[in-house]
Amino acid sequence: MKKFLRTYLPFASNELKRNMAYKGAFYLFTLCSLFGSFIQYYLWMAIYGSAQGAKLGSLTREEMVVYVFMSYVTSSLTMISVSRELGRDVVKGSVAMNLIKPIDYRLSLIAKGMGTVVYHFLIPGIFVWIGLELYKVFILHLPAVSAGNILWYLISVFFSFLIYVLFDFCFGMIAFFTTYIFGMQMAKDALLSFLTGQLIPLSFFPGIIQRLFDFLPFSSMVYTPVMIYLGRYRPSELCFVLGRQLVWVVLLYLLGSLLWKQVTKRLVVLGG
Amino acid sequence: MIQVEHISKEFVSPKKYPGLKGAIKGLFSNEKVRKTAVDDISFHISEGEIVGYIGSNGAGKSTTIKMMTGILTPTSGQCLINGIDPSKNRMENAQNIGVVFGQRTQLWWDLPLSESFTILKEIYNVSDEDYKDRMDFLNEVLDLPEFFDRPVRTLSLGQRMRADLGAALIHNPKVLYLDEPTIGLDIVVKDKIRDAIRQINEQYRTTVILTTHDIGDIEELCSRIIIIDEGKKIYDGGLAELKDTYGTSRRVTMEVRQPELFRKIDWEEKLHADESSIETELDDEKNLFSVSFDKNRIQVSDIISSVMQISDVRDIQIQETELSEIVKAIYRHALKGR
Repeated sequence: MKKFLRTYLPFASNELKRNMAYKGAFYLFTLCSLFGSFIQYYLWMAIYGSAQGAKLGSLTREEMVVYVFMSYVTSSLTMISVSRELGRDVVKGSVAMNLIKPIDYRLSLIAKGMGTVVYHFLIPGIFVWIGLELYKVFILHLPAVSAGNILWYLISVFFSFLIYVLFDFCFGMIAFFTTYIFGMQMAKDALLSFLTGQLIPLSFFPGIIQRLFDFLPFSSMVYTPVMIYLGRYRPSELCFVLGRQLVWVVLLYLLGSLLWKQVTKRLVVLGG
Repeated sequence: MIQVEHISKEFVSPKKYPGLKGAIKGLFSNEKVRKTAVDDISFHISEGEIVGYIGSNGAGKSTTIKMMTGILTPTSGQCLINGIDPSKNRMENAQNIGVVFGQRTQLWWDLPLSESFTILKEIYNVSDEDYKDRMDFLNEVLDLPEFFDRPVRTLSLGQRMRADLGAALIHNPKVLYLDEPTIGLDIVVKDKIRDAIRQINEQYRTTVILTTHDIGDIEELCSRIIIIDEGKKIYDGGLAELKDTYGTSRRVTMEVRQPELFRKIDWEEKLHADESSIETELDDEKNLFSVSFDKNRIQVSDIISSVMQISDVRDIQIQETELSEIVKAIYRHALKGR
């Protein structure tokens, strides 16, 4: 375990340093995505303002405020793309440089992802989060989130991160066949913003579609942790959703190993 | 140390057709094109050897190296590096090898060079004392300190190549693969890299496999060369033997006072040589008369004395066939044979 950490931790810390090396790009990116969250916020407020009942999709107006901003924080912590790097490595052939080292390529990508998570948590995650809680307590006069919910939320976020990264690794394998993946990624991002609940809480969908979502890994990526944060699960349900996340981690891990084994056999390193 | 047995690699790619019509046809066709990049190659290399692995572009050099490093899985055949099959135990094999691909870098592009070395130290599990020893040695032979704190992307090509070579050696690998390590470098840096490779080989008995298009690399470093063409091995042996077998022709060029006198002379008869072993050429404008001949059949002194009987000679130059000429001849020969 110690050896494991010594080997992969540098990937995480270097990714953190690398992110900081290009801070201009990151601030701009953060600003743009935060801007999106505020648009969402005002849109929802307008919808609630003209709605008949106090609840929409089983969420109250106040819960929706929390949902909008926490789904932003959550997705910035969990939806870390590794397929972009995988695709680039395959297309440029630099995947070869990773295969000459005694490291597991997927673990090194995950470790790099962890570095980005830490960075996103510091900027701007924690500030949005604290800002939201202050807004909740002082403007909306609601009780602050309980320590228990924060704990379960963080555990769930960690699982979400693993699910997303492992899924994205499998997805990135497409690059081995198409040697181009950018368009697919755009499609994936658009689809996932729906399926994960990033755009609209999944409780807005009709019952039958919600049942379908229960059998897909995507709801575990954003929707589950945010609902945990909102305290919408009873203890037994909490165990179930966390257990379901764990199952997805294991399944996607195994799927990734299988695909990787197949794909490296037919690997073609272009050029040179 | 290295055993390669009947190794082959075939690439399969979808068939492409020319033109717009072809592009549309390509969407619906499922035809595949097979290309054999490496075709049944075998060789053995013992510890401490420096072997030059040469061939024209696309001959399959890099593909072979990639199979020996575990990046590619051979279609058939097997290679054992220090007793390990890289296609089965890639990670274990990786611990024993160092690789430099001249066209790529294994360094972290955005970070100072020092960071790359610290990461590699952890990845290969190098102890602090070993790391210090290695760094002292590498700093001396490669002059790393002058750019050790600069981000890798700001390094010049020569500096980057030195850094890459250092990075490949940090864990004291038993085998070092160098895929065109001197590509695009100026003569000073080339010399430095060659010196470093030689010192590493002498000091640590590292086995080195070197692919290159630079004949200078081969002449200075390798005692043995393997030549491949179109995926097949066409020569495997010592450099000296290669020169003896193929490099017996010489060329003597003389600047003469009256070139017009040379026009009508039958040199074959004059030197008692058969047609195939001699070839003459006359450059009227520069007053140059040159003779290419086989040194085992004709003495250079005979030629010079015969020429001097006809005209005064101002200058004489004798050239040995360069290795590049020999290699070129072998490539051509292989092409003719097919």
